[in-house]
This record gives sequence, C-alpha cells and structure tokens, in this order.
Amino acid sequence: MNETIVEARNLIKHYKDLNALDNVNLTLSANRIYGLLGRNGAGKTTLMSILTAQAFATSGEALVFGASAYENDAVLSRICFIRESQKYPDDFQPQHAFRSAALFYKNWDQDFADRLAEDFQLPVKRRIKKLSRGQLSAVGVIIGLASRAELTFFDEPYLGLDAVARQLFYDRLVEDYAEHPRTIILSSHLIDEVANLLEHVVVIDRGRIIMDADAEEIRGSAVTVSGSAEKVDGFLAGRRILHRETLGSLASVTVDEALGSRERAEAAELGLELAPVSLQQLVVRKTMVRPDGAGSGSIAGEFADDTLEARR
Amino acid sequence: MSRTMAVARMQLINKWTYIGWPLTILAASFLMSLAIFALIPVQEGKYGGGSQAPMWYFLVLGIQSMTLVFPFSQGLSISRKAFYLGTLGLFSLIALGMTGLYLLGGVIEGATNGWGVYGYFFKIPWVTDGPWYSTAAFFFMVMMFMFIIGFWFATIFKRWGTTGTLISTLGTGLVLIGLAALSTLFQWWGVVGTWFAQQTPLSISGWAALLCVVLAAGSYATLRKATP
Repeated sequence: MNETIVEARNLIKHYKDLNALDNVNLTLSANRIYGLLGRNGAGKTTLMSILTAQAFATSGEALVFGASAYENDAVLSRICFIRESQKYPDDFQPQHAFRSAALFYKNWDQDFADRLAEDFQLPVKRRIKKLSRGQLSAVGVIIGLASRAELTFFDEPYLGLDAVARQLFYDRLVEDYAEHPRTIILSSHLIDEVANLLEHVVVIDRGRIIMDADAEEIRGSAVTVSGSAEKVDGFLAGRRILHRETLGSLASVTVDEALGSRERAEAAELGLELAPVSLQQLVVRKTMVRPDGAGSGSIAGEFADDTLEARR
Repeated sequence: MSRTMAVARMQLINKWTYIGWPLTILAASFLMSLAIFALIPVQEGKYGGGSQAPMWYFLVLGIQSMTLVFPFSQGLSISRKAFYLGTLGLFSLIALGMTGLYLLGGVIEGATNGWGVYGYFFKIPWVTDGPWYSTAAFFFMVMMFMFIIGFWFATIFKRWGTTGTLISTLGTGLVLIGLAALSTLFQWWGVVGTWFAQQTPLSISGWAALLCVVLAAGSYATLRKATP
C-alpha cells in the first residue's frame, strides 16, 4: 500500500448561494496519476485550491503530507499548483517565470523546461500578458512539469493548446513521470483524451465526489446493451440503469454493472449487442443521474453540447 | 528565511520592475525639469515638483505586487508570510537606494548652483531644509508610504472585492470630512494649524512611519486570509 499524501476530511466550502464542496472525503496515495474529472463549476479548482491552501474551506480538514499546507513551508515546498487562470507579474516573460520557479523548487530542471518551451514553440522572451491562451497554458504546463514537485496539480492544462501540443503534454508527462515518479493530479473535462494516462479517477459533481476508483476497475464496470427494446429490458430487469435511449422498437441501455461470461453468452443468444462504455461516457452518464434519480432534460441537453465541444 | 529572500530575488529577476522603471521615470522627470528650468531666464532659485514622479510609480508597484505578484507566488506555493516579508523587505531596499540617490542629487545640485541653471529638482523648500538625516527620513517614509498604501488598498480589494474597496475608500473619506467638520464646529483649526506649523520633516516622517506600521500590519492581517 502506498503512502497517503493527501487526505480530505469532510471538506465543505460554502459560497453565498451554493455549496462548492459538499462534504468531500478523499485519500490520495503517493506516486500515482489521478484524474480529477467533472463539469465546469463542479468544484475541481475549489478542491485543489483548498488542498494547496490557496483558498480556505468553510469546514473540514485538508491534510497534505500529513499536515495542513497553510503557511507551512515544509509542505508547500513540495507542492506545485499553477491554476488555469494563473496570474503573473506584469513585466514577466516566460523565462522570468521559469527562473522564479527555479528559486522555489529544489528539483527544478531548467534543461527540461527549455526543451519543453521549444516543443511548445513558446516565445520565452515575450511578455506573458501578450501571450495567446494556448501559450499561457504552455507556461503553466512547463512550470508544472519542470518543477518536479512531489505533488503536482494540473488545472485544465490544455486550454487553448492545439491537438499536437496537447499530445506533447500527455507524452512528456508520462515520460517524465516514468523517470521521476510523483503524484500528479490532472483536472480535466476532456475525459477521453486523458483516460489512458490515469491510474485513478475521481469524479466530482456539484461539490460531491461521485466516483473514486482505479481506472482499471472502471474499465468494463459499465456496459451498453442494445437490441430490440423488449429483449433488452427483459435482459436487464433489476439492474442499475444509467441511461436509456430508444429508436423505434430498438433500445440502447447503459447499465452500471459488469457482466459475467455467462451473462454475455446469454446476451449473444438473445441477439443483443454489448458495447464497452468509455470513461467519458460513464462520467457523463453518472453526472447526469440527478440525486432524485431522474435525469433532467435541460441539463442533459446542456451536457450533450459540452461533450460535443469537448470532442472537437 | 531563505524563501523570504527568494521572494525578493524573484521580483528582481526582471530588473525593470523595481530598478529600471523607477530610474527611468526619475531620469525622464529630471531631464524635463532641467529643460524647463533652463528655459526660464531667471537668475534665482527655481523649484519644481518633478522629483515626486517615481513616488506615483511606487503606488502602482504596491498595487501590482498584491494583484499580480501575490497570485503568482501562490502558484509557486510560497507562504503568505514569506511573500509579505520578501516583498516589503525588497521595497524597503529600493526605497533606501532611491533615498540615497535623492540625497546625492541634492548634494550635486547644491554644489553646481542648481545644475548651472538655478534649477532645484531634489531640493524642496522645507523638506530638505533640515539636516541630511531628516531629509533622508522624509524621502524614505514617503516612498514607503506610497508603496504600502497601494499594497493595503489592493489587499482590501483582493479580500473583499470592489465593494470592500469602495467602502474603505469612502469610509476613509467620510472620516476625514467628519474630522474637518468637527474641527470647524469646535474651532480647532487654529490648534490644527499650529500643530502643523510645529512639525518638522523629521516629525512628519515619524507620523508617516507610524501610519505605515499600522497599514502594514493591517495588510498582513488581511493577506493572511486572502486568496489569489
């Protein structure tokens, strides 16, 4: 069992009109890549901010390396969290930001930072406030990677990056992680893109953790069964249904359960088709299940748009 | 301690912010003042207010160190305390250096009869009349004051947003107006006038220092709970 490095106990963050975090309990172990997934506004950034003491919980406890990070240099010096909307000093160029990071992270690798800047074609001598959104993201990604902090958070690191740059980021992350194991928390709503990187998945929705499982466990934990509506419904009677779609007499139903080999054979006999559910679909389906059990039409519609956008 | 030093060093990575710009502003203001002095065909002392130009930049620096450098420092996991001490420490050094420059400028100005054109940029009636240390204290405290007031307002803004800033600005204004009204009502103006007349640059520096300490302590208390 790996050493626990992050522990959140009953974290609640209450804003005027919403619960950004609603009793979050979470334990993260050392040297793994975690995905913190969820919709925009689900509480991902709030959770990361509180863990790193950049923000404060209304109640509850956040322990990192066994202690609160607040004003705690021993803990803070091992954490890197560049936020998605990170601000930089007015006159700073990327090279200045990198030299700053070098002052604070003992494992900072300047060569690595230089190589990454080249990979991302980042103009290191241009003022940061004149950079494009993608270039700004690249600055954050480079600081996150080259700092080699024991606990590194990436907050939607791909915003504005093109497909090539995103792939570069994923590749460099995996390569460097293999050589320098550390704990990485990747917050994202581009779930399919990062699915292969993740060893463990935490899904947060409306301030609650709704999924917290190993990626291996999740793969194959749900299945979509399609065929004639009558047969599908008969076959799946009594199971946990996540989603149901019909087209004429045909139905396609996603269940939140794995099927055994006997059940698979039975399905084949009935002429039903089984399809694996991607992590993204699973997360989408799970987040669309309302607490009261019924999916709301308008929210579903919104989310479908979101998903489409994410895939583009 | 080393992280506090690193905060100061971090802000000197781009030399323009704390060194280049103040010197450029001072030089530009100085040269312009000199040009104007030279154009006025008078053989006696001419005084200008150009030497205050860098002070306004310090106000901006104070604001920006809270609105931009603080969030950046949080991204690098720097504690609020290290950020505060490092930033204020760095600014004290800059203010000290600038004060030295002002004193030196004043000496040269005196020796060259106002740069040969009877123009006085660094020498300011009343302010620089006393001994050198009183002049130094005055310049230093004014610079510190400008920086800290900017920093203080920005902490208020970071912590309580536009509403908080408005309330504290309006509040300060109201208190000042209230004091003025009371002074008029109770005919304190004579006393107030006498009090001001009795002040020396040194004692004013002392009062400014006291105010700076109060504001700096207030900023720290607010910063402790500020988020980037």
